[in-house]
Amino acid sequence: MESKNKVIFIEPLTRIEGHLGIHAVADTEAKKYTDAHAYAPMFRGFEIILKGREPADAIWLTQRICGVCPTPHGLASVECVDMTYQAPPPPFAVAIRDFTLIGEQLYDSPLGCGILQGPDYCETVVKKFNSEWWSEAQGRKAERSDLHGYSTIADIMTALTPFTGSLWLKCLQMAKLGRKMNIIFGAKHPHVGTFIPGGVAKTVTVSDLEMFASMLSQHIAFAKELTAAFDDLLDFLIDVGYDNAGVRENDLISYGAYDDPYAYNANYEDMGEWGEKRSVSPGVIINGELVTTDLIEINLGVREFVAHSYYEEWTEKDLEKDPLGNEIAVEHPWNKETRPKPSSPKNWSEKYSWATAPRWHDWKNKVNGELNVVEAGPIARLWVTAKAKKVPESTGNSLKFTLPKANVLGFKVSEELTLEWKIPKNVNAIERLRARAYYHAYSAYVAYNLLLAALEMVKKGEAKIWNPYKRPKNGIGVGLVEAMRGALGHWCVMRNGKIHRYQVITPTTWNASPRDLNENLGPYEKAIVESPITEPIESELNGIDVVRVVRSFDPCLACTVHVYHGKSKIVKEVSPFVNVPK
Amino acid sequence: MSVERINVIWLQGQGCTGDTVSIAGATYPSLTDILNGFLPQAMGITLQYHPTLMLPHGEEAQKSLKAAVKGELDPFVLILEGSIPDESLAKKTNGFWCMMGEEEGKLMTFNDWLDRLAEKAAAVVAVGTCAAYGGIPHGSPNPTGAKGAYQYFGKDWKSKLGIPVICIPGCPAQGDHMTETLTHLVLTVRGLLPPPALDKYNRPLFIFEHLVHENCPRAGFFACGKYSKEFGEPYCMGLLGCKGPITHCDVPRRGFIDGIGGCPTIGSICIGCTEPEFPDGPFSPVFKKAPPGVFASEAVRDILGKIYALLHRLKRRKI
Repeated sequence: MESKNKVIFIEPLTRIEGHLGIHAVADTEAKKYTDAHAYAPMFRGFEIILKGREPADAIWLTQRICGVCPTPHGLASVECVDMTYQAPPPPFAVAIRDFTLIGEQLYDSPLGCGILQGPDYCETVVKKFNSEWWSEAQGRKAERSDLHGYSTIADIMTALTPFTGSLWLKCLQMAKLGRKMNIIFGAKHPHVGTFIPGGVAKTVTVSDLEMFASMLSQHIAFAKELTAAFDDLLDFLIDVGYDNAGVRENDLISYGAYDDPYAYNANYEDMGEWGEKRSVSPGVIINGELVTTDLIEINLGVREFVAHSYYEEWTEKDLEKDPLGNEIAVEHPWNKETRPKPSSPKNWSEKYSWATAPRWHDWKNKVNGELNVVEAGPIARLWVTAKAKKVPESTGNSLKFTLPKANVLGFKVSEELTLEWKIPKNVNAIERLRARAYYHAYSAYVAYNLLLAALEMVKKGEAKIWNPYKRPKNGIGVGLVEAMRGALGHWCVMRNGKIHRYQVITPTTWNASPRDLNENLGPYEKAIVESPITEPIESELNGIDVVRVVRSFDPCLACTVHVYHGKSKIVKEVSPFVNVPK
Repeated sequence: MSVERINVIWLQGQGCTGDTVSIAGATYPSLTDILNGFLPQAMGITLQYHPTLMLPHGEEAQKSLKAAVKGELDPFVLILEGSIPDESLAKKTNGFWCMMGEEEGKLMTFNDWLDRLAEKAAAVVAVGTCAAYGGIPHGSPNPTGAKGAYQYFGKDWKSKLGIPVICIPGCPAQGDHMTETLTHLVLTVRGLLPPPALDKYNRPLFIFEHLVHENCPRAGFFACGKYSKEFGEPYCMGLLGCKGPITHCDVPRRGFIDGIGGCPTIGSICIGCTEPEFPDGPFSPVFKKAPPGVFASEAVRDILGKIYALLHRLKRRKI
């Protein structure tokens, strides 16, 4: 008797950063997935390698956790070390750090939308798995074709085909340009070389700002096309009912991004204030509602568990209180000890992933007083910023901003354009992608305003890039920033000038987490469960819907398991393996 | 063996995908130039497997690895990104450091695939310092016993075609360093160029012969004794911890993407990321100055050079 349940393994789960495996159970009668495990199969041991080194070295080493999103690691680390060394940078240096991060985000969003996730909806894939979508897409006019130039939805799907599609190629080109903007100030990318405690190691000239401005104008023009093309594609996918893929609770976390040059002072006691001055707000959302925007409260609520991860527990508490006298939990990264213990794979009831399970504790008991499974990513950033009303662009239920005029050859729209990202009904695979495209536009908008502010600083003679500092012997620090994939935290405890403890929790650790001690599913796992099967159900499943859901999070696995590496596998597939068309 | 078509298999071990991102930023030739076959002599290159860029996933993706092992993709170049862990350490507790799917119910590690594929490869190219020499994961105390291909296979190992492991270090490797070397290999296989000459760590000399210090746009300031005392100044970065005098790399001169960037070039410091010892001593701590011995020998060469130049200035010109 054939069971209606099919188990699939997807390893390697390609078009993501790093190694990831997914085990999913499909109910082929109900046409949906009923269970899932996400596992990270690679380990390197950064926290162990960092011990005993100088905290400043972490700024370089921790970027090597991830070659796709290194700059946020560098920024989280330099802010963490600024605090540990008590070395605040001058305002102009903060602006330069912001430019470096924005350059990376302008690369990372087209990379995610166009190269890593977009191809899940390209002509080849849609024709193969969702032929009924394809015929509908061919007849569907693209509403915003005046902005992006494609006349039907099918044209957009064709444009997303790897290596040949025009949108795919343009995303590749714009991603490279974003990296060039990054290295004007960052020296090299991946792994920028200019973040130093107390500022930046960069001889800044007006040439740099002009070069940056010229490249930015292209990204401003491109943002108008990218958001329009994705709005059209995603609205179509909602119309065919795909917004029930990848749904999970509206529980989100953001640490905020793009510091206000005049507010950031690297001081822990003031972190709540300078955090709220960021252009992207920090915050925690539970059930769609804002719980807090205070970075101190957010930081102290972070917990990490290893019940289903290849590590041994730690029980000792190094730090009892933070500098303000608040209690620090034993599961907080300031107290965490990384103790790897490899053991057998796919042991679902025991340990099965090199990723840990971070959770956010509502320690002030504002909504439930519980450990919450929260999701990180551009959708979390936009949701929090739209709700929080900490920036003028925030309306309480949307984020509304106007991209300036930009006359650039090779782009469709030169006029200024007002964009509005509205808080969706729920978090799902489609909305994660849309948020990624809009985050590109918002980042370009922030860069433009910041550039004007930087020119003003130059005019006033305030273009200082570094404050020399004296290294104290002991200290603690935390750096909370946003990578493209979401909330990224670094924590340092320094003793006798050396790293006593250094911990990192990446956005993909939040999202790819295995079950926790209470058997709550991690965000990938939860999002797969109840997702529909849209591919034809034949003898074997390909799992395309699972990978679409997982890829909507833009996985970055080297990050997650700062030490592991995994892949996923599909049971059987017959079609010939087609590679780069040539 | 036909060389009309050359396949490429790109394998990732303990890495960060930085070299993949970096090669996407290569300019002359670019990655798409290579895949599109930018001139007749460089045509026919097919990327058969790349975990980050390929369209298929899961078992379908693994098909090309299996085909390569069976010899169906000959000739193929095996590109490695990321370091190679010591799985025997993880096996002690029945675990693994780097898993890459399974085969007939049996766990496959990255090392399993590497061993099978290296045996069949026309050439093995290690991109990035992790794949070449172990890089970050092999940093002290090297918790996973990580190595680079240079140590894992050994300096004297030769591929089926008699080519040693070619190392393109850098953290990550600079994009054009990778595309130029790959193109060089293709032209070598097709008899249009001799094999690239390598240094003692198997780095192509046409890229890695000279030191960062020698390639640095700030070297002119060094030559006239001008040193940056604080970050932001435009002079030699030697007193702020630059490891240029002990690191082989041409990034300061060529830039990192399309002529832009470069570490000491823009006011940062070299951290020695192309060297086998990276990230340990003498390349750490990052702000520690390069060993004084280098400067002493450099000073001697400098004096000899100035005497030579002085004597020659007194001679009558020949041309």
